[in-house]
Amino acid sequence: MPSSFEREHGRALLILDTGPIRELVLFHAVYHFKFQRLKSYLQFIRSPESYDQCGNFIRPFRRKTTSASVVCEINHWIRETEPTGQLKLWNRVYDEFRNMGMDEDVVKLLDMDSSSVARSGPVDVSLLEIAKKQSGLSPILLTIDRPLQCEGQQAGLRVQLIQDLLC
Amino acid sequence: MMPEVMPPPTNSKRVQAWVYAVINPVIENLRREVFFLAKGNITWQGDTKKCEYIRPICEYIQYSQMPNYEDFLADPLNLGFREKFEEHDGALSAVESSAAEFADGLIRSDLFQKQVKDALEQYQSTARANGQYLYLGSLPRAVAALLVNRIDVLPHHYGTHDFWEIYRNNFELFREGTSFQSVKRAADALMAVSAKLLLCLENHRQMLCRTYDIPAAQIP
Repeated sequence: MPSSFEREHGRALLILDTGPIRELVLFHAVYHFKFQRLKSYLQFIRSPESYDQCGNFIRPFRRKTTSASVVCEINHWIRETEPTGQLKLWNRVYDEFRNMGMDEDVVKLLDMDSSSVARSGPVDVSLLEIAKKQSGLSPILLTIDRPLQCEGQQAGLRVQLIQDLLC
Repeated sequence: MMPEVMPPPTNSKRVQAWVYAVINPVIENLRREVFFLAKGNITWQGDTKKCEYIRPICEYIQYSQMPNYEDFLADPLNLGFREKFEEHDGALSAVESSAAEFADGLIRSDLFQKQVKDALEQYQSTARANGQYLYLGSLPRAVAALLVNRIDVLPHHYGTHDFWEIYRNNFELFREGTSFQSVKRAADALMAVSAKLLLCLENHRQMLCRTYDIPAAQIP
């Protein structure tokens, strides 16, 4: 059931962690572009039905954003794949960002609490900071990472695990 | 006098290099080409004016393996492949230039620009748009690429999903003109060349593997 805020304003802001972006890019590469070797990297979105379920969750949000740190994390992942396919994967990431209208926010290291960075890493902390800064929009943070979900919920933020969206 | 060319021995490393570094990646990519072309999708990108997933044959080979590619083409055992690869690349070039001509024609067309503008205005006035962004880039160029690649359905989370679902049929008339027919003809010709080359390479790989007793892929 949508909350009263959602009923009034629609879904305003979705913040995406690395995991969901990677899953969307990978599924598209494997099933639409036949890069079968990448199939083993898929963790949750493994069928057209789950891809559609995830897409239908993302679709109503008027704004989607991520952290610049997430782009660095995507880079680390792509560097672990076969060198010949890396440009194609980056092209898929660009396509995904362009087609989703993905925005990017930068959270400076010095603006993050050092003990939080030491505990959870700068990527997770930056995503939580973006969610806190945009709290007026009642954002939802989409991730595959349970510790980040716990951390976010403890901070009073709304965090959605991709695996919980899929039947 | 040229020295006599000796046939490679059984388990020849040279033949293995042809199979693993040349034939296998080309077969993998040709299968992808045929998959896309069978759906009419030439994977054309407006910004580069190239087909993203259909490339000249030499681009399917890792740069470090180019000497093996050149050796493959030079050896009489692989006679005819240089011409077949050239035929493929020529057919691809025809597809890319006809697609660019079609898309450029659309972008220059006042009728097309007006139709995109009208559709966008109409879409934005509906509740379905709900203040959502549509596309980060030029919408006319995006629509032109969707028409070139004959895309019917977009993923649900794409900003253009709803727009394309509603207005796709309104743009169909642009695919009836002669310039789109030339894209279609070029794509059909490339499909025939790619499918023939794929079959030829699969048969050639089998012949090499049997004759020289080598596995068709490297065993880890």
